[in-house]
Amino acid sequence: MAKPARPETLAERWDARAPERRLLLWVLFAIGAGFLMVLGALPKDGIAVRWTDLVPPLGFALAFCAAHLLFVAAGFRGDQLLLALVAFLAGIGLLAQFRMGVYAGAGLTLAHLLLPAGVMLLALLAVALMDGRYRPLAAGMWFWAVLSLAILIFVLTTGQRFRGAVYGAGFITPTEGLKLTVVLFAAAWIDRHAKALAKWHTPIPFPPLRAHWPLALFATLLLGLLLVQRDLGLVLILGLALLLQLTAGTKRVGYLVYGALAAGAAGYAVLQLFSHGQRRVASWLDPFADPTGAGWQVLQGLSGMYAGGLWGEGFSQARPRYAPIAESDFIYAVVAEELGFIGSALLLVFFALLCWRLILIAARAKSPFGMLTATGIASVFTVQTLLNVGGVTKAIPITGVTLPFISQGGSSLLVTCLALGLVLAISDGEPKPLKKKTAPARTASTRRRRASAA
Amino acid sequence: MDLLNTLFQSAPWGPLRFGLHVVFLLAAAFVLRQMQDLRAVVGLKHLAKPRAGFAAAGLVAVLGFAAVLAYQATWQLSGTARPDLIAFMQLHDRRQFNPAHWIERGRILDVAGTVLAESRVVQTDAGPTAQRHYPFGPDFAHVVGYADPRFGTSGVEAAANIQLNGGKPDSLKDWGELGRQILTQGKRPKGNNVTLTLDAALQRLAVERLGERAGAVVMLRPQDGALRVLASTPSFDPNRIDADLFLHADPRARLLNRATAGLYPPGSTFKVVLAADALDRGFSARIHCPADGWTTSGHYRKIRDHEYYEARRAGRSWRGHGRIGLTTALVESSNVFFAQLGVYLGHEAFRATTERFLFNSRISIGAGDSRRQFLRTGRIPTIPSSDRYGLAQASIGQGKVLATPAQMALIAAAIANDGVAVRPRLVGGEQPVAAGRFMQSGTAAKLRSMLRQAVAEGTGRGIETPGLAIAGKTGTAENPFGAPHSWFIGFAPAERPRLAFAVLVEHGGYGSTAAAPIARDLLLLAKQRGHLP
Repeated sequence: MAKPARPETLAERWDARAPERRLLLWVLFAIGAGFLMVLGALPKDGIAVRWTDLVPPLGFALAFCAAHLLFVAAGFRGDQLLLALVAFLAGIGLLAQFRMGVYAGAGLTLAHLLLPAGVMLLALLAVALMDGRYRPLAAGMWFWAVLSLAILIFVLTTGQRFRGAVYGAGFITPTEGLKLTVVLFAAAWIDRHAKALAKWHTPIPFPPLRAHWPLALFATLLLGLLLVQRDLGLVLILGLALLLQLTAGTKRVGYLVYGALAAGAAGYAVLQLFSHGQRRVASWLDPFADPTGAGWQVLQGLSGMYAGGLWGEGFSQARPRYAPIAESDFIYAVVAEELGFIGSALLLVFFALLCWRLILIAARAKSPFGMLTATGIASVFTVQTLLNVGGVTKAIPITGVTLPFISQGGSSLLVTCLALGLVLAISDGEPKPLKKKTAPARTASTRRRRASAA
Repeated sequence: MDLLNTLFQSAPWGPLRFGLHVVFLLAAAFVLRQMQDLRAVVGLKHLAKPRAGFAAAGLVAVLGFAAVLAYQATWQLSGTARPDLIAFMQLHDRRQFNPAHWIERGRILDVAGTVLAESRVVQTDAGPTAQRHYPFGPDFAHVVGYADPRFGTSGVEAAANIQLNGGKPDSLKDWGELGRQILTQGKRPKGNNVTLTLDAALQRLAVERLGERAGAVVMLRPQDGALRVLASTPSFDPNRIDADLFLHADPRARLLNRATAGLYPPGSTFKVVLAADALDRGFSARIHCPADGWTTSGHYRKIRDHEYYEARRAGRSWRGHGRIGLTTALVESSNVFFAQLGVYLGHEAFRATTERFLFNSRISIGAGDSRRQFLRTGRIPTIPSSDRYGLAQASIGQGKVLATPAQMALIAAAIANDGVAVRPRLVGGEQPVAAGRFMQSGTAAKLRSMLRQAVAEGTGRGIETPGLAIAGKTGTAENPFGAPHSWFIGFAPAERPRLAFAVLVEHGGYGSTAAAPIARDLLLLAKQRGHLP
């Protein structure tokens, strides 16, 4: 045994999470410096700085400190980098949102509460499901499947159209929840049927279709309904996550090959059927063909980036308002304009590190279900980030997905927090095998109860 | 709070803010460094050994981010190498700090090197900005256009935008310069000059002679299409553009380039088109032209000659042309003859002729690198074969026939150039390109002598000038909006033409009194300036 199962005393636990604390404090320091700059730009626009302007950064800092203390109290063994990485990304998101005037209203609003609430959810979920307690989630396999379809049908029947996509009541996007429920269903199902799914036909390598039909039916129904909603971004995210989970669960790279073929054919068919998708591809290939119409948003974003150059104009010094929906889908263009290429490269390094870390947790997860869940969440997070950043920089067509932690959007933020909380719980590892005695697990849970009571 | 507010508005905040920016970047970089240092401590050793294959997946993800970042750099850092983007930003980006607005655009010069447009760097609140200056004000407004941070670009400014901005970097030195600009943020590229074929002196005279009247003058070299004059009045001052200009309500339509886009009934100048078709077909008959006119059917008003109306106004009687041939008809501009000729040749011949003369299309007049400039030729709808009166009207350039001054100049140039129309062009140094053959070489030669005769002893005799040998055709185009439009198209010298032209004066009355003298004055100056032998 290289490491003790779980630190016993509070002092040990405090020491055990020293790396996380150190990183978190530096991140908070950096974000604090950034916030001072954003704040300093307010008088320039004729707005006096008020006490309430300090609420968002304080709430942000307190939430992450509380999350860290919760981990210490619970003797949490999970990943120590994740919280700091999330703090940096969420901090940049906070600065960008503040700069775009999301918190400009007088008094406290729901927006002030959202980020702290998300961070607390993340920490609480991680602690609640640590020590292998996430595994019962696999038992609710059909619950996740039914919930996924129910969300979709609910949105399709009651939702309202806005900018070509369907939203639930009050611009909440319930479909964000699919990123969690679909991943959980797929992880549970693949975990249960891994053997059958790995049995490929010989000599012509072909997946066993009979073992597949429940998953195939679910995926077809789900992606089909999403297509009806014209949510191409989510189709891509979930489709890729399913394929990667299948591949990881069965160690059959062939799933990726057939998946790529199927995706190519499906993508072609979709483009033939939906003029909406065709227009996006056309404006991606040549935005200058219709610069004031279809190409306007991406070109304004790129203009801002060009204006920002290598070093950027500085926090709150640029004029990112010219790109439509800048605070949501195009927030990356705002960051690139104000922080320059250097700043956006830094942001992408943090994103890449977070993705890398999620993939590492998946690679090392002890239980197959944990591995599959972490794989799904890592895929969703990575694909979503790349789709957004690629779309804004015109590397790929715009798919209309949000940038995790940075874009404005409550549903997206809460779901991402829950998903990362789940991965953190998985990274905590499994309880000691039964033969060793159950005592440590019990003391841990009593300690946790005591800590949360205090 | 008050302390913070005063700090943010105080003078040291500027450098302090910069310091904070540096601190922010360093702190973020330091976090990354710490993660590197701590990687042994935070390794997830209590978990299982890493499964195979995930490292590859992680690598793919990281490569994805790297690829996006590399592609982003091609816009953010070397965007100068994307002329489309620069043009877009100059037209549509309202960020004052955008370096695209600081570019010192190249100058636009005329054939003699006279400056038509240049950039001057002026200091503004937002820092140094390049401002465009047009020494001739409204004289070249339509053709040269404007480059305005608020209203965008037009004309040559738009067509040659990329070259004026400095062009694409295509040598190692250019790329080195680009790298320097990226690192030092000294993005102040200087553009390249564009030399046009226009002659500023001729253009100025044309605008001056048009004066307060609305109209257009086009003058070009028939052999290679080099445009010497492309004037349109009324105009606007590109140095001071105001939003009123862009309102559709502008009653004077100052924004309209009448030379290349103004559609007018060509009147009698259109008879050269009919004459060319008749000569191509070997037509040599004489047609009887009654004094009191001719019509296709009793229901329609008779088409009569101008002499008939003149005589009636003077209380005299006119005995008519009688039986005349094509030459006399063209020299005297007989409506009765050409109406009958058109109906005789028929609907199909008329349609084929308008097609051969490139009506109902547009011709590129500048191989601009970012946007092309075009001239409209005209608009002649298909005349139903049952409508013989419509065909008779169209044959004398009235009715449904509309043409631009540039197209009429191109027709004159084709006659001058043995029947081949060479695509008009504005930018010097381009290879001449044929737009089409309008008529046979022999036809062109016959028309040249007929048109010379029209000036020497026909409708244009008022401007006959010794030594110029002007050949041309007048036009007096009836229109529903007021006095007739005055036209004069032609070329000089008649035998070996060096310049072809079209002059249009809106509601100017007779072609011989308003338009023709302008052409003569321009030719006199052109001779002085060496454009004519």
